[in-house]
Amino acid sequence: MSLFGMLLNALRRWTGTIAILFFLGLAGLVVANVFIRPHEAEYVFDVYPGFWAVFGLVGGLAMVIIMKKIVQPMISRGDDYYERNS
Amino acid sequence: MSATVSGFIHPTLGFYALALVLPFLSGKAWRWLLLIPPVIAIWSVMTIEPGLYGQGHYLGQTLLFGRVDKLSLIFAQVFAVMSLIGMVYALHVEDRLQHIMACVYVGGAFGCTFAGDFITLFIFWELMSIGSTFLVWLARNPISTKAGFRYFLYHTIGGLFLLIGLLLRYKAVGNFNFDAVAPTHMMTYDWMIMLGFCVNAAVVPLHAWLPDAYPEGTVTGSVFMCAFTTKTAVYVLMRGFAGVEALAIAGTVMCVYGVLYACIENNARRILSQVGYMVAGIGIGTAMTLNGATAHAYAHILYKGLLFMGTGCILYAAGTTKLDKLGGLVHRMPWVMVMYMVAALSISGMPLFNGFISKTMTITGAAEHHRTWLAIGMEIAAVGTFLSVGIKLPYFAFWAKPANDKMELKPIPWNMYAGMAMGAFLCIAQGLYPDMLYRYLPFEMEEMYHPWTVWHVLQALLLLGFSGLAFYITRDIITPHAKTNLDFDFFYRLIGRGALALVSKPLAWIDDRWTEAYRAAGLRGLLTLARGTVWFDTKGIDTVVDGSAYTVQNVGVIGARLQTGRLQDYLGLAAVLGLGIFALVWYLA
Repeated sequence: MSLFGMLLNALRRWTGTIAILFFLGLAGLVVANVFIRPHEAEYVFDVYPGFWAVFGLVGGLAMVIIMKKIVQPMISRGDDYYERNS
Repeated sequence: MSATVSGFIHPTLGFYALALVLPFLSGKAWRWLLLIPPVIAIWSVMTIEPGLYGQGHYLGQTLLFGRVDKLSLIFAQVFAVMSLIGMVYALHVEDRLQHIMACVYVGGAFGCTFAGDFITLFIFWELMSIGSTFLVWLARNPISTKAGFRYFLYHTIGGLFLLIGLLLRYKAVGNFNFDAVAPTHMMTYDWMIMLGFCVNAAVVPLHAWLPDAYPEGTVTGSVFMCAFTTKTAVYVLMRGFAGVEALAIAGTVMCVYGVLYACIENNARRILSQVGYMVAGIGIGTAMTLNGATAHAYAHILYKGLLFMGTGCILYAAGTTKLDKLGGLVHRMPWVMVMYMVAALSISGMPLFNGFISKTMTITGAAEHHRTWLAIGMEIAAVGTFLSVGIKLPYFAFWAKPANDKMELKPIPWNMYAGMAMGAFLCIAQGLYPDMLYRYLPFEMEEMYHPWTVWHVLQALLLLGFSGLAFYITRDIITPHAKTNLDFDFFYRLIGRGALALVSKPLAWIDDRWTEAYRAAGLRGLLTLARGTVWFDTKGIDTVVDGSAYTVQNVGVIGARLQTGRLQDYLGLAAVLGLGIFALVWYLA
């Protein structure tokens, strides 16, 4: 195992800390968004601070939950579906 | 030869020359020759002045092999760069047929890019189709053989649409010139041609060949395939069909559709492309979205190639790219992870990487042109891309599960790392210095687009950061499962099976009846006739003909060897013959 590999592997022990840093970073971005706005709204709603944060979060959650929980059970077949049926 | 008299070394020449020479070389040093055509191609596209080069005559038509302008040059440039990266990545491959087919394929892409008329375009279009089919087949396993047949069948149908369209067009307008159509006055034949292009661009619902074939190609072949087929199609769509409203909508649908599937996909090599952004940009048709589409095609070739090189390394080392079987490999392939992450962040449009300077251009262009819904669709696709390709894939391939020391990994050759490093370098360099890419953009804009504004950076970070949070929350739901997800190819197969039944059942019935009738009536007569000829043969012919019979036998042996009964071989032979004739005509014309 290379030194770099060991270093990356050691990161696993710091998962909690990394998550907290990530949340702090996100909070920082939203605070920055209060002060930094687009010159002119490209969409109607992006003048409000936090619009893109909500867009990313809600869009991502909706996508994962709808696709994994509702759509995949309907359209998924066994891993070898086409091999068995052709 | 007419293609070089005016000083333009057509990049195709180098690749086809190499394809012709490779079978006759022995030893090991031949592999370094692989790098020469790409280098010539890069030199050629960087130095050539725009203009019309290399006219030829064929079938009574004037062919134009070298339409060199800003639009064809920027595509040719990225093709040349990618061909060099791809060849470096493939240096270790011993199987020469793979290299030959890669050359046929890449050469075809250059041929299409510089083609000024539909005949030239069609010839190179089909050569690409043949070359890429072999890149699937040469993975040499039963699954890839089947996938290759499906791929070829599908692209033949696409090619036929193109052929029908261009012949109908010739009948109507009397020439084969390949120019932009007026989007508001499209004729049936224009739609046919566009449909043929859309098959190769993998526009939904004609797209299902892509996730079917790409994961089954060879490790190195798929790197070429992901770069050239769809992007050549993007180029010809941009050349011919800019501003066609149907493309704007189809492109956006494609963006969203692709990420929705990526969300539930288990195979790391089955990532649908970002071609939707380009198709949408072409459909909207303003200078900014067209430039955005071009820039995105350029950036996409680099990072998509890098993605396939990264997943190719996983396949090469671990023998699978199924995410449910991987995980916990980060400490054993740290650099593969790093290179993969460069590509993943690029495709997601993260600042510092080239997707950021290209994707945002198309989206901003759409928004400025008041196509708000299209722009929002593309933003949703950006969220999904980051979720699936940017986080899910590396997380489950490298991190999820405890460190895996048991899985047997094949060591990865140095040249695969070198190819990836070249790609990663360019992805980052273009992200940092957008002008590296923007200066080659073909369409004049009223004001230049500046990606590196505080707002653009903050917007990208907010969007991606909170998509990341969505992943964090749903990481137990999104876990990949070993499943096949039905897609439109379910219907293609249904159509295929229906056609097969229609042909085979009635025909088989007729064949059965004919055999019975023949057995009853024909056989007796034949036997009587045979007795007569046997007598004639033993008495008269044997002595005379034996000599010539041996000759016939020998010819027959060669013939029999060629007739293997395998479509792969016939296809290869036909391509060689066709190329030979074409080269002769090109030379003589």
